[in-house]
Amino acid sequence: MNRRSFIKNALCTAVLSTGAAGLFTGTALGADPIKVGILIPQSGPGGLFGPSCQNAAQLAVDEINAQGGILGRPIAPIFADVGGPPSDATQAALKLWKGQKVEAFIGMHDSAVRGALTNLFKGQVPYIYTAVYEGNECSAGTYVIGETPPQQLKPVIPWIASKKGASKWYLIGNDYNWPRDTNVAAKDYITQSGGSVVGEEYLPFTADNFDSNLARIKSSGADAVLITLVGGASVGFNRAFASFGLSDSVVRLGTLIEENTLAGIGAENSKNLFSASGYFANIDTPDARKFAADYSSRYGADAAALNSLGESCYEGVLFLQALAQNAGSLAIADIEKASEGTRYSGPRGTATMQNRHVSTNIYLAQARGTDFEVVETFTNVDPGSTCN
Amino acid sequence: MELLVVNILNFVFATATLALVVLGLAIIFGMLGVMNMAHGEFVMLGAYGALVVQNAGLHFLFAIPFVLLLCIIVGWFIEWSIIRHLYRRPFDTLLATWGLAILLRKGIEAIFGRDYKSIDQTLPGTVQLMGVDYPAYRLVLIGLIALFFLSIFLWYRKSNTGARIKAMVTNPALASAVGIDTRHLARLTFIFGVCTAGLAGVALAPMVRIDPFMGLDYLLSSFFVLVVGGLGSLEGLLTGASVIAGTDVTVSALISKTGGYIAVLTLSILFLWLRPNGLFSSR
Repeated sequence: MNRRSFIKNALCTAVLSTGAAGLFTGTALGADPIKVGILIPQSGPGGLFGPSCQNAAQLAVDEINAQGGILGRPIAPIFADVGGPPSDATQAALKLWKGQKVEAFIGMHDSAVRGALTNLFKGQVPYIYTAVYEGNECSAGTYVIGETPPQQLKPVIPWIASKKGASKWYLIGNDYNWPRDTNVAAKDYITQSGGSVVGEEYLPFTADNFDSNLARIKSSGADAVLITLVGGASVGFNRAFASFGLSDSVVRLGTLIEENTLAGIGAENSKNLFSASGYFANIDTPDARKFAADYSSRYGADAAALNSLGESCYEGVLFLQALAQNAGSLAIADIEKASEGTRYSGPRGTATMQNRHVSTNIYLAQARGTDFEVVETFTNVDPGSTCN
Repeated sequence: MELLVVNILNFVFATATLALVVLGLAIIFGMLGVMNMAHGEFVMLGAYGALVVQNAGLHFLFAIPFVLLLCIIVGWFIEWSIIRHLYRRPFDTLLATWGLAILLRKGIEAIFGRDYKSIDQTLPGTVQLMGVDYPAYRLVLIGLIALFFLSIFLWYRKSNTGARIKAMVTNPALASAVGIDTRHLARLTFIFGVCTAGLAGVALAPMVRIDPFMGLDYLLSSFFVLVVGGLGSLEGLLTGASVIAGTDVTVSALISKTGGYIAVLTLSILFLWLRPNGLFSSR
């Protein structure tokens, strides 16, 4: 055999064998995988939550693929950064949708980005929004599994009022639609619980000095503060709040104080601090314990800490599976028809879709040092959705 | 009445901490002409230095020598590697230090992660003062900062080094002609500026949020103070700090936090437009 024919033969064998291998693995995994675009903040203010979100979503993907995937097809997740302005997020989503032929989207990001995305998708592709938010998203093709103000506050405010004697509420949040819409709902629940609102304030995201707010809270005679500040602003506010000695006499309730924020607030500043959410890293149910154990055994002790926003990405993938199985396809028309009543079980407990939102368990936790301890569980709380 | 006392104390505290934060920038920008965009990151280094000391299980006060040492090393290295080539090229220093700021943020992010850290209060609790409860740590800090500024003021006035720095700032060519080693002096001045920024970070650490981006908050307000107060004098720095802090505290107390922020921005723009050298100017 001369050298040329040797190379030719070798090449032929190589090509044939890779081709055969390709065919073999192809049939074994059920032809083509389902590409799912997972849109999470990997930069910007929300970037803190990117790593835990990506880990949790990947965990769900691997678990589902190990059991045969969705409708017999494995999931191929494609992660994209939507931590920037809505215009950048739209570009990122468009690339996945039209360029990479993604068949469904799961998003954990702010409401401004969600508004841009529903406008882009126009109900032509399934889009699952997982973050806690202000409520009333009713766009076609959009399914919300995050907690809404009626869920986080309607049962919780009466509890705080009766158990902690709170009647004079001070509302403080960052200046955008989530805090403002949350507080509109909160005012009703406060009035219904026999209390009154003694102050309401919205701060810019850049706020790093809260002295004037604290002076006002003190002179208002408030005995409870509802906090809808986000991330760093919440950390700064809560630290200053405690340093003025207010934490001894005034109860604080937050709807977005998760594990990262509490770590920043610090153990000595977390007295009388409550948080209402569908998930905490240490809720004591079999589903939640299994999820936390799987997460830590997969990613180790140094991984991004579990929190409600990260966990929501796990549930987003579970919900996509439930939705597709209920509809028997991933076509948007089938999913739209089948979505109502879709039920799945995740770390938060069992959730059921109801007018594009899900009813789910809500946990009220009190901070003990830098850990949360669940003090009350409200089961199957209605999302208060007005979509029909 | 109580509200008034609290707001006055808040004003004094805001002025003191702002002045401490600005001092490093006033030295590096005002004396050496380096538009130091990494100033906030030096403050951040100080806060993370305090975190390292806390994680090692040591008392908070050990953070002071640790951060001083850290800042001397970092300051020396940055001056030697980057800054000394760029004196008298203000625009280039702006770009170089902005790049440096990004590098420091990302470096801290790589080591400590993006998540929030907290430093325990060494002096928790409040003290009764003129009928109001005010955080003890803040009161102690106000006293220490006042003492610190007084000693710097006297030292700069009386010492030989102070006189040499003044000579270098006003006429560098003549200063080196009469035998002052301006390159050495500039390096020491830069390191001193970095050290005060680091110390400010230590002092603030028990009160603020700690994350890799915390420096950005301090950079902007520091430049506002220098715009209003003017470069090159401690009087200007203190006046600038009290004007900025006073505007913020007053408008925030009377109207809202957003109003306070707008007022500070408006004031800075007006100064840039109508009085670009600030209230006190040595040039």
